[in-house]
Order: sequence, then C-alpha cells, then structure tokens
Amino acid sequence: MLYFTLASKAYARNLQYRGAHMLHNLASALFGYLYACIWIGIGADRPLGEYGVQGMIGYIAFTQASLWITGFITNGLGIPQAVRTGQISLDLMRPVHLFVLCMCREWGQIAYQFVYKSLPIYLLYMILFRLSLPTHWTTLLYTFVALAASSYMSICMNYLIGATSLWTTESNWLFWVNHALVNLLAGFFIPVEWLPSWLQTVSWMSPYPYLLYVPTRIYLGYEQAGSLLGSMAWCIVFTLLCLLVTVVVRRKVEVQGG
Amino acid sequence: MNIKYWLDLYVVLIKSSIRSRMQYKLNFILGTVLAAIVQIAEFLMIAIVLNKFGAVKGWSLYEVGYLFAVMTLSKTLYRTFASDVHHLENYLTTGELDQLLTRPVPILLALMSQNIRLMPGELLQGGTILYWSMHGLITSGQITWAALPYTLFIIVTGGVILFSIGLATATIGFWITRIDELQTLTEDAAQTAVRYPLVLYPVWLRSLLLIVIPVGFVGYVPSLFILRGEYGAWLVYGIAFLAVICLIVSLKFWKFGLTRYQSTGS
Repeated sequence: MLYFTLASKAYARNLQYRGAHMLHNLASALFGYLYACIWIGIGADRPLGEYGVQGMIGYIAFTQASLWITGFITNGLGIPQAVRTGQISLDLMRPVHLFVLCMCREWGQIAYQFVYKSLPIYLLYMILFRLSLPTHWTTLLYTFVALAASSYMSICMNYLIGATSLWTTESNWLFWVNHALVNLLAGFFIPVEWLPSWLQTVSWMSPYPYLLYVPTRIYLGYEQAGSLLGSMAWCIVFTLLCLLVTVVVRRKVEVQGG
Repeated sequence: MNIKYWLDLYVVLIKSSIRSRMQYKLNFILGTVLAAIVQIAEFLMIAIVLNKFGAVKGWSLYEVGYLFAVMTLSKTLYRTFASDVHHLENYLTTGELDQLLTRPVPILLALMSQNIRLMPGELLQGGTILYWSMHGLITSGQITWAALPYTLFIIVTGGVILFSIGLATATIGFWITRIDELQTLTEDAAQTAVRYPLVLYPVWLRSLLLIVIPVGFVGYVPSLFILRGEYGAWLVYGIAFLAVICLIVSLKFWKFGLTRYQSTGS
C-alpha cells in the first residue's frame, strides 16, 4: 500500500502541469516527425531493408513515443538534488529501502508519462502517418512486458547514476552520456542491425538494445516473446547492482548542510 | 557612458564569472570531456546512416556534417555568451530578476554576464566535424579554401540569429513565466531540424523554419552558396543584414517585455 501511495503521489503531482506538458508533447512529436522525414528522404530512392519506408516511419514513431517511459527518467531519480540539500540523510532514515523509495516515486512518474505523453504522441503519429495497431493481442501483451522491463532498467540505471553523486555531488553529465548512449546504442534512430559491426557488438554487450530496440521489434512483429528473456536477465543484474550500491551508499553518505 | 564603457564592464564581469566557474576544476574537465562524447554520439547517429545509405536528397555526408558543425558552433557562441538568457525562467519563477534590476547596469548585460558557460566540448566537436567535412569537400574539389572565411562569418551571423530567437522566446516569459516548453519548440526542436538539409521537410515545415523561426538562415541557406555556389555571395551579406534586423527586433521586444515584468509574491 505504501509503495502504491508513493507512486500515486508522484502521478498526482504531475497532473498539475498537464497543460504545459501537452505543449511539450508537440515539441516531442516534432522531433519524431523530423527523424521520420529523414528516413522518408533516405528511403525515397532505395529500399530500407526488411522495414521499408512505412516500416521505418512506424519504427521511429514507436521509439519516439516510448522514449517517455524508457529514456526520459528523472535525472538520477532525484538523488543528486537530495545529496545537495542534505535530504538524502532523511531518505536513508525512513523505514523504506532507499532503492524501493526512489523506484516507487519514479513508477508514478512513468505511469503519468505513459498516459499523458507516450499515448498522445503515438496517437498523433497514428493519425498523421496512418499507422495501424498489431493485429494480435499477444503482440501488445509482449510489448507491454518489454516496455515495463525497459522502464525498470532505466530506473535502475538512473539510480546508479544518482548514487554516484554521493562521491561527486554532480551527476548531470553522466545522465546526459547515458541519454546519448540510448540514442546511439538502443536503436532509437537506427535499428541496431544497421550499426557498424563493432558497434553492434558493443550494443549487444550492453543493456541498451533492450530499452527501445527489442520492445519496438516485438511491437512491429519482427521478434517473438523469446527476446524478453534478455530483458529479464538484465533486470535481475540491475536489481542486484542497485541493492549492492545501496549498501555502499549507506556507509558513504555525507550531509552537505543544504 | 559610451559603448566602450559597457564593453569593458562586460569583459570584467565575464572574467569574474569564468573565475567562479574554475573553482570546480574537476567538474569542468569532466563536463568538457563528456559534453564532447554526447555531441559526437549525436553526429554518429546520422553519420552511420548516411555512410550506409549514401546521400540523402542529394546532400552528401560531408555536406550534412557541415550543416551540423555550423549549427553546433553558432549555438556554442550564443549559449556561451548568453547562457542565462536561455535560463531566464529560473529568474522569473524565483524573483531573482529583482536583484539584477537594482544593479546600475542594463538588465540584459547583467543577465549575459551571469554564469558564463565555457563550452570547450561543443567547440571541440563542432571544430572537428567542420574540419573533417570541409577537408572532404575541398579534397573532392567541391569547394576551395575561399569557403573558410565565409564559414567563420556565417557562424557569427548564426550566433546572432540564435541569440535573437532565444531572447524573443525568453521575453515571452514576462507574460507566461514558464518558458521551458516553448524553448523546446523554438530552440531545441528548431535547431535540431536545421542540422539536416531543409529539402527533407514538407513545405509547411520549411516555411516555419525560415519565416516564423528564422533558424534556417543559420547554416542551410548560406550553405547553398558556400557549398553549392547557388545564388551568389550577396546571400551571405543578405543573411548578415537579416541577423541585424532580427537582433534589433528582439532587443526592442525585450525592452517592451521588461516593462511587463511582475515579480513573484514569495
């Protein structure tokens, strides 16, 4: 119940800014539109592999909309700010595990972004580019599981980024590097199989393809449920890492004095 | 008090701002290296695609690299010297602008000398891609070294245009206070769009990026002459004239907006 309350509070807080967020959605949709235009331009006089032009438009539309629940996560889950203000000491004193506390808050944020950002942006693309939904309900189910796993991995990644601020007080740049790697290695703009082979190897050795590429491929019907095993494996690895880091954080915490 | 007096004052304020930044050396070095990585990853995204598929609507990888670099360098110029114009929202929501209003310097000068942001990472990335793309274009015989002075010139005019757009957007904050979302549209999205040739976009979007938000004049339009010899050298001078017009209009709008400033109640 406590966990649900933490999440719902974060959801409710965002509801106050719905109007501003809708304007932001327009800008976000425009970004995806630009990328789609680039692929339309590239595909004008050559085939685009198994996707084709319409397939690549569908691909970009899905990754751009999904970015709001897998990429645009709160910077370091708010831990850097808590470190600067000293709030982190209070958070560690609460009778809730720090990782669970941060995670529940972020799930509320993600739920809000799914309803008020991802869905409206994707709906707009569906109308604009005449996209259609998958015909089989299991595809939607597997996509949902893949997206939930990628959201969870993103939460864990940002928890780890946030935890570094206990040593550096500033993890802003790490957040942006992570974002750049999402753009490049997660198949946001380029499907992973079109990366140079060495970069493909790097990509598959990292968790990034499971953030966007795998859910998108499942949604578009190119992958089956088997790919979810990779997502699950990374979720387990990240959970262990986050729990381990929390133990270290408890010993490291310094109160900055606000 | 003449212009020289204000310029000298600006230099003094900038120097002290840089000194305060340098108090956090490790942060600065780390930030620089990582900023360069972020920027290069962004370019790699399009470079990989063009390398695999070849030109897009007649624009080669070198030409797109040129557009990308000019935009990065113009933006670096703007954001280095007017960082807090972009962050005016913070001043409006906290009421911190009141402090600047009490200073015996023009408000815009005070704002521009606050928190000056050195951006060597962006400079490094933009410079490297510009060198690489121009070297490629010169080797292939498409352009000559004469393109270099023109390029440096349009980076400056581009900086002025981006500053004008940024200032006009910030001024709207005097009415609506929160401008973050608007900036994403008029600055981030618009600047991203023109890092690629405008021929990729439908007419309505092209018109938007040339008339409503004249960001298309930063790199794309001048490159039609510099890279492809279209129109003539007058195009570059015409853009300089346009940049000055944009600057005057945005400054007048800023002055008008300032009269509408209401501080916060907190």
